[in-house]
Amino acid sequence: MPPSTCLRSFSRLSIDVTAQTSIAQRLGRPQVALFTTSATRHATAPKRKGMTAAPKKGVKSLNTKKSRKAAAMDTGKRPAQGERKALRKRIVLSNNNALEVSSLKNLSKDNVLSEQNEGKVMGLPEEEVVDALRAVDAFKATQGWGLFRRPAVLMRKEAIQLAKLLREVEGSRTGQQKKTIRRILSGERMSGKSTLLLQGLSMGFLRDWFVISLPEAQDIVNAHTEYAPLPNSNPTQYTQDTYTANLLQQIQKANSRFLESTKLSTKPMLDIPLKPNATLKELVAVGTANPEASWPVFVALWNELSQPGRPSIMLAIDGLSHAMRNSEYLSAEVKPIHAHDLTLIRHFVDHLSGQKKLPNGGIVLAATSKSNSPTSAALDFCVEVAEARQNAPDNIPQWNPYKNVDARVMETLKDLNTDSTDLDVIRVGGLTKNEARAIMEYYAESGLLRHTVNEGFVSEKWSLAGMGNIGELERTSVRLRI
Amino acid sequence: MASRELSRSVWRAFGSLGSRSRPQCERTAQRAQMCIHPRSSRCISSTVARTAEVAEETQEPFSAAPEIDFDNEDGGATGGRKGGKNILRTLRVVPASPSYFSAKPTFTDDFLSLSALLRKVATLPTIPPAEAPKVAWKTIDQYRIMTNEPVKTQRFHKMLHILRRLNCIHPALMPDEVVQAMLRYKKANQPGDVKPKPGIIDELGRAKGVGRRKTSSAVAWLVEGEGEVIINGKSLSQFFGRLHHRESAVWALKATQRLDKYNLFALVQGGGSTGQAEALTLAVAKALLVHEPALKPALRRAGCVTRDPRKVERKKPGHVKARKMPTWVKR
Repeated sequence: MPPSTCLRSFSRLSIDVTAQTSIAQRLGRPQVALFTTSATRHATAPKRKGMTAAPKKGVKSLNTKKSRKAAAMDTGKRPAQGERKALRKRIVLSNNNALEVSSLKNLSKDNVLSEQNEGKVMGLPEEEVVDALRAVDAFKATQGWGLFRRPAVLMRKEAIQLAKLLREVEGSRTGQQKKTIRRILSGERMSGKSTLLLQGLSMGFLRDWFVISLPEAQDIVNAHTEYAPLPNSNPTQYTQDTYTANLLQQIQKANSRFLESTKLSTKPMLDIPLKPNATLKELVAVGTANPEASWPVFVALWNELSQPGRPSIMLAIDGLSHAMRNSEYLSAEVKPIHAHDLTLIRHFVDHLSGQKKLPNGGIVLAATSKSNSPTSAALDFCVEVAEARQNAPDNIPQWNPYKNVDARVMETLKDLNTDSTDLDVIRVGGLTKNEARAIMEYYAESGLLRHTVNEGFVSEKWSLAGMGNIGELERTSVRLRI
Repeated sequence: MASRELSRSVWRAFGSLGSRSRPQCERTAQRAQMCIHPRSSRCISSTVARTAEVAEETQEPFSAAPEIDFDNEDGGATGGRKGGKNILRTLRVVPASPSYFSAKPTFTDDFLSLSALLRKVATLPTIPPAEAPKVAWKTIDQYRIMTNEPVKTQRFHKMLHILRRLNCIHPALMPDEVVQAMLRYKKANQPGDVKPKPGIIDELGRAKGVGRRKTSSAVAWLVEGEGEVIINGKSLSQFFGRLHHRESAVWALKATQRLDKYNLFALVQGGGSTGQAEALTLAVAKALLVHEPALKPALRRAGCVTRDPRKVERKKPGHVKARKMPTWVKR
């Protein structure tokens, strides 16, 4: 519809000018151009200078430029919703400007568990592992993947230790059940705990294990996703439908080969009908499509995986201390919900504590964090005790009685305080000098480090990086180049 | 005019001699003389002459004029006052020092005696001045206070020149006489008098060093090893977030390429992280010097040996900060 001023101009376009002028005079308006749509603007008489009233006495009339500027600056284009977060969370895994390292060998199904790799930098195979790792959000934005041509990992001492555990699980054929090994990764800040977890996951992928990874415990407990009480649970547990559906999708992407090739062997009790003889992929797809059914689908999937003859399971979580305290969710009585009452965390913690076993064997891995970790005194104490058990068995710390004890966490981690080796701590310490040299040679070959890598240089960087802390080593030799 | 002045002073001296009781030690008499004479010879000094303390250490080798024997000189024969006047007429007081009538007698004496000494030992072999033992000579102000004479700078430097020449005599052949003579012109404390205790490596192979900077103080122990560093029980990267601080903490080792030869553990307290890191620099350098004293020049070039004495300047009354003044307001 044309604006009203336009219509008015049309109406005045009559032959009868006199009538129009009479109207104009009657309204007391000045004569205006007839066919224009813009509003009339009268020139205002310029104000004479010095005519403004003198400022009141005792009143500050300070005209700061800031306020005027703020009004003027307000015309920029805002980033679209979610754009900033996407930029922040973006995972870059390759850098075309970095040089290709000719000597870099890929990990493969055969060599991933061999001890020959110790102290070598190995590439992650693109099609099998990298996509799967990306699907389970194992890469973190803070890790320096974007510096290099393609993802590669250093097979450090702890990684070999992990590989040995995988081999132990695969080799254990005694009796009906295979072995379940549970490990907590602890260490200094930037010492490579999350990367070691990633290495564990990639070993799992390469050895055709079924990998379920909770990429960040904080995302589960920080009350950013919807939750609902699980019916018929006592004490009440809470499901997170959207999160679980998303997790199922990740599982489906990461383990698609196994899921496609396997048929249902049990009859899951689901509200949504499944066609008989469906594959597991279709089961998971049901959960992904219907978030309200996602938790029953997850349970059904777990039942399927527990059937004999199915692959071993790699169950991993990062940021464990978030899962060892009250979550941000509130119950109906406005009481905080303990993280162990969330079904996903509960599922993980049951396996970490050894309350439930993995029937086909497997590894439960939990990485702690030093930069994003709320205080969880019980977890810290248990890890400390386990480390002392490994290093100095005659000097084991005692619980400080003036600290609040989280009984559920203590109960979960009580195996750390006993001599059983099923649940233990892998201390992720500094690199040895040989490992440091290997990774620095890799930096140099990638063109990121312009210095001859000799013994003096390596040991200098090793010392400055706090006795071979790998994150600091990368910072000092690659990122903080002057 | 001058002669009349002198005769008057001699009269006064004689009077003071007469008024004192007989058994007087020679020295007090001397001092009395010394007290009186400069006062009359000085023109416009209103300050009291300071002799009391200095006279103790700077005893001049004076031998006073022999006593006047009133009996032997024809006093006994004529007797009475007239005979005494006759003696006085023939009396001539001879000053001990030939430079007594100069403006700066002590200095002149010193200068002359040193010149004479130099003439005497001039033929002895010498060493170049750079190799001569380091001596802190008295400053001109100290010398002025010692002699209580207004010595001119240039003259004093001439004397120092002689002293330096004397100091250049080959140490093996240095006569004792010269050593004694130079002692008078040396400061009480000589460089190298205070020697720090040499550091020791204890039975566990540790060498200790202490360093300070700003308000931080650090103690570092260095043992042979492969480059591990622990500060207050934490690793270097945990303790110092900034790379610059890490480097300055181990700078003494890094600058001498010893970072992979030693293990370091240290305790630091006080101040901020920059102060702590630079206190560590000094502590580590000192501990390293215990292990390898020959590294001192290298460490000095790296700037690790000298303690940086700068501290926060104190705030003063009337100032907003140490130096900042309040804004100037017209009214």
